[in-house]
This record gives sequence, structure tokens and C-alpha cells, in this order.
Amino acid sequence: MTSIALVLLAIGAVCFLYRLLRGPSLPDRSVGLDGLLSVLVIGIIVFAAHRQNGITVETVLVAALVAFVGTVAIARFIEYRGDS
Amino acid sequence: MNVVGDVLILLGAALTMIGGIGAVRFPDVYSRMHAAAKAPTLGIVLVAIGAAFHIHTSLAICTLLLVVVLQLLSAPLGAHAISRATHRHGDVDLDDIDDLARDRSD
Repeated sequence: MTSIALVLLAIGAVCFLYRLLRGPSLPDRSVGLDGLLSVLVIGIIVFAAHRQNGITVETVLVAALVAFVGTVAIARFIEYRGDS
Repeated sequence: MNVVGDVLILLGAALTMIGGIGAVRFPDVYSRMHAAAKAPTLGIVLVAIGAAFHIHTSLAICTLLLVVVLQLLSAPLGAHAISRATHRHGDVDLDDIDDLARDRSD
């Protein structure tokens, strides 16, 4: 189960990484980064479920919050760049 | 009970993969955001519920619940902030009708 889930997540991560590296505009890269951090969060939860051990679950909280703050920071940067 | 958890985890991982494929295949920024913001959010919810069947500590289950609530709150906020900034200053041309620009110019 864990290996199948990790293979699916790896395919998704490659897709988001393609969008992060290739994306023609900055919002595309932001979408790729957000998706890549979602894949990271899901991977950590799958790992914790595989080990049947809740000790890595706190890391998920930090990663999800960093993803949100990073997305909002990029959005503010896109909105106000070149104005001042 | 472990079978239910396995199925939920596989469903969440498949949904995340579908979101990634949508982020590659869709034609412009807004539809890519549509795929990449919503599908992994539901994926996180399903995987967290599935992992709660495997992890039997109540502290870890409470943390997973907190993760689910925070993700459900923060993913629409982040996607909305990105799309709003993109529409104002993103230098992205839409080749069809832009209803928001039409409404803002009224």
C-alpha cells in the first residue's frame, strides 16, 4: 500500500516540479510550489501511517503553514512588484 | 479497519497525482490553479483520515484533525490571493472573455 501511494505521489510531484521549473509566468511557478508542498505534506502523512507512529505528524503542521505563508508572500510580491 | 485506511490513503494519493497532471495539462494559469489547489486539498483530507485508521495515538489523531482544518482554511485563501494578484498585475493574457475586468471597469 505504502509503495503504491508513494509511486502515485512521485508522479504528481514530477508534474508539479515540471510546472515549477518550466511555468511561463510567476503565478505558474507559485502553483507548482504550492502543489509540491502539498505532495510533501501527504508524503509525510503516508510515512507516519506506514510506521504506525505519530511522531512525524507535527512536521506536517509546520510544512502546511509554511506552504500557506509562502503562497501569500508570493501573491503580495506579484501584486506590488514595480510599484514602489 | 486497516483496509478502509489503505483505500482512503490510495484514493488521496491518486487525487494528488490527478491534480499534478491537471497542473501540467491545463492551458492557462487560472485553470491550472483550479486543478492544483483543490485536488491536493481533498487528497490531504482523505490521506489524513486514512492515516488516522493506522495511527492509534489520540495526540497524533488530534494533530491530523488540526492539519485538515488548517488546510481546508488556508488552501482557498492562498489560491484566491494568487489569482487576485495574477488578475491585477500578473501580465497574463486571457484569450477569451474576461468577465472580472469587464465588471471592474463598469
